[in-house]
Amino acid sequence: MGDPAAPTAAGATVLVADDNDVAQRLCKRVLEKAGYTVLVAADGLEAVEVALTKNPAMILMDVAMPGIDGVEAMKRIKAAIPTMPILIASAHSMASDRERFLAAGADDVLAKPFRLADLVAIVGKLTANRGA
Amino acid sequence: MKGSVMRAAFGRPKAKLCLLRTLDPAKGGEGAEVLPGPRPRPEDAPIRTGGLVRRITPLFTLLVAAVLAGVAVLSGSVQAAAGFLGAAVVVVAALAVYLIVARARAVAADAQREARTARAAEERLRLTLEGAQVGLGLIGSDGRWNQVNAALCGILGRSHDELLTLTLEQVTAEHDRAAVEEALATLQSGDILRWEAQVFQVRGDGTRVPVEITVAAGAHTPDGVGMFVQEADVSVRRRLEGLRDGLVAVRQVILAGPTWELAAPQILGGLCACLDWDVAQYWAVDTELRALRLHHGWHRDAAGLEVFYKQSRRLSIAIGEGLLGRVWQSGVVAALEDLTQAGDYERAAAAQEAGLKCAVALPVVTGGAVTGVIELLAPEVRHIENDLVTMLSTVGVEIGQFIQRAETSQALRRSEADHRAIYERSPIGIARISGEGELLEGNPALLEMLAHDFETMRSQAWPDLLRAYDQAAGRSRIPPLLAGITDGRSVQLRAATGDGRWLWLQLTATPIPDPTGVPEHVLVMVEDVTTVRDSQDKLADALESQRGANATLEKLDRTKTEFLSIVSHEFRTALTGIQGFSELIRDGGLEPDEVRAYGGYIFNDADRVNRLIGDMLDLDRMESGKMSIRTGDVDINEVMSDAIQRAGSSTTAVEFKADLDPRLPIVAGDRDRLIQVVSNLVNNAVKYSPDGGIVTMSTRSEGGFALVSVSDTGVGIPPDEISHVFERFRRVRSGAAQSIPGTGLGLTIVKQIVEMHGGKIWVESAVGHGSAFHFTLPLAAETAPLQRRHG
Repeated sequence: MGDPAAPTAAGATVLVADDNDVAQRLCKRVLEKAGYTVLVAADGLEAVEVALTKNPAMILMDVAMPGIDGVEAMKRIKAAIPTMPILIASAHSMASDRERFLAAGADDVLAKPFRLADLVAIVGKLTANRGA
Repeated sequence: MKGSVMRAAFGRPKAKLCLLRTLDPAKGGEGAEVLPGPRPRPEDAPIRTGGLVRRITPLFTLLVAAVLAGVAVLSGSVQAAAGFLGAAVVVVAALAVYLIVARARAVAADAQREARTARAAEERLRLTLEGAQVGLGLIGSDGRWNQVNAALCGILGRSHDELLTLTLEQVTAEHDRAAVEEALATLQSGDILRWEAQVFQVRGDGTRVPVEITVAAGAHTPDGVGMFVQEADVSVRRRLEGLRDGLVAVRQVILAGPTWELAAPQILGGLCACLDWDVAQYWAVDTELRALRLHHGWHRDAAGLEVFYKQSRRLSIAIGEGLLGRVWQSGVVAALEDLTQAGDYERAAAAQEAGLKCAVALPVVTGGAVTGVIELLAPEVRHIENDLVTMLSTVGVEIGQFIQRAETSQALRRSEADHRAIYERSPIGIARISGEGELLEGNPALLEMLAHDFETMRSQAWPDLLRAYDQAAGRSRIPPLLAGITDGRSVQLRAATGDGRWLWLQLTATPIPDPTGVPEHVLVMVEDVTTVRDSQDKLADALESQRGANATLEKLDRTKTEFLSIVSHEFRTALTGIQGFSELIRDGGLEPDEVRAYGGYIFNDADRVNRLIGDMLDLDRMESGKMSIRTGDVDINEVMSDAIQRAGSSTTAVEFKADLDPRLPIVAGDRDRLIQVVSNLVNNAVKYSPDGGIVTMSTRSEGGFALVSVSDTGVGIPPDEISHVFERFRRVRSGAAQSIPGTGLGLTIVKQIVEMHGGKIWVESAVGHGSAFHFTLPLAAETAPLQRRHG
């Protein structure tokens, strides 16, 4: 989206897993504009499947999803690909929630609603780490 | 004593030879049979036979002659017969003459011989009498001693010559004199031949001596019948017997006597009778006065004792003072054999006046201390033998032990009486039961408490109570009642009374062991703790409800936290779209189509936030009772149709079917709220239905209610979530259902509205097959007649 400071790994593939259609569209739109290739998943199981088959550079993961939730999906993915960067983006934004997600293995946590610049910055950082 | 001897003798007055029964109370009344008078000796028989032969000889000669004459007559010779008879007469006559002469000679010789024999016999008798160990003597019909031996002189303590001036009566003690006189008279009359008895003789020095006397009727003289008298001094034997009998008598009374107060007169009397004393007194140590005081007295004969008793009763004897004081002090038997010579006898003058000359005193020893003194008094000077002292010491100790025992048992009886009173009057029920659990005794309080008579209590109520005890004890880990190891811990149980009340009883069991320690029976205290228990229960209830309230508050608190968490999640989810897309629009650079699309997202999410707020406010008003129903006539079929129409216009993914009962009456309700209910259910059905699913709407009239149903062919609700579907924010999260947006308050609001209309709502569901929500509403027809009546 034209913020020159944002680190951008051109062409990197990012998976957006969110059951909320609006949030999914928003993230997809913002990240594509930032130069990423965006894959989407609407529930936890789909997120695991896409992550393991497409091996994206990182994953933006909602928590409250049908089937298995984002935390469980993250654990399964990390079990298969321990280095996969996963950013938890949740509307569960109490202080204890952030700790809970980090403890479960999240590389970073982004509270909803979020500033678009924050989303792009964190995704850029995590994809850069992955690339390094 | 002697009178009974005579009575026995007179019992059979016609008998020349009669049995005399000597009754001796000192031997416990046992009788000794004697056979008085001479008895035929077996060797007399041949002598008689000889005499008979001599007497019949002349007759025999005559008989022989007569027989010979008879034979001659029969032979036909009268001459010969007469000759024989004459000869026989001559012979007999001659023989008779001879016999008479011979007899006369023999008699003369016999007389000479008998005189010699008599002289020898008399000499032998004299020697026998003199040498005999027993006293022997002859008395004439006037009772005067004619002959006495040395032994008799010794027994009676008189010289030979002095004795010959006296009669048997004169040497007999005064109280036996009448008996002796009577016996002699009877012997004179010949009714009895022999008399035996024990009497007291008076010695030359005035002392008395007990003798065993036998008087036998002797030769008849012109003056009357002479008597042969035998006397044996039995004083030693008698004293020993007296000692023995005295001890026996005391022990008998001690064994049978309940208290010293009751036993004392008998013991004192027994001692006097057996030991031959006239007066006995028991003096007790008064620990307060520190003196001996007269407690009991016994006397053979009250005559002349008034002053002595009067003085005795007034007297307080200090320790060491006089005879009794000395005995008290020393604890040993002491005596004053001659009171007239005694220097320190307290009642010397009174004793002299009463004719009492000898005193012996024995200590009564209880628990090692002298607690009393018994004094025995006699009217003559006595020599106190050592064996009497020993015997009296023993008696003193035994009486002391008896007093102690009697006091102990009296104390026990008192204590028993106390316990009995406690038992009878205790407000606590007391039951005494056997080792087998049978009720032996129940006090009045127990029977009153449980309103049973004893028999019902014993046969019915008590066994029930025992069972209840054991059950309650089992719960409290206390051994059963009859296990015998209850340690006073109590058990509370519920029991019914005879008049139908229920009580809380507290039972406390105490085993009562027999002397060997084996529990013989069990005492059970029964207390009515109903009042206590009820207030305890109330307290417990209050505590319980307080705990419940706390739990509710905690749950409310948790619910509130959970609610906040869920609400904030819902809001933030909605705001994510609103904020994100508006940020995109604000930053510009978008295509007009994009702007329009994003504006739509923003609107939808904003609308959702608004609905969420509306639902929350509705629910709050309903739950706090601030929302009222504006009741009017509602055609529920019309509401259903409108809902189908609205839903159908916004989705084509599902098919709607209507099964509406055209005869369904109008219902009474708030139309707007009912529309809210139905559209909520329809939206849910649509949301949870897959593409191509069918939503069926039906109405039916059933028992005064309108039954409304909305069913789908959707994902269904898992069984463990069915009971929670009407709770707030309990959206079904599993499976595809979770992707369905909603406030999570819809069904909660629906339930509230239905219930505010007086209806019910429930759900049937099977996972994978769909769900059916049903609710009822009261029909307006049910209330219409009432309204018309008012109209």
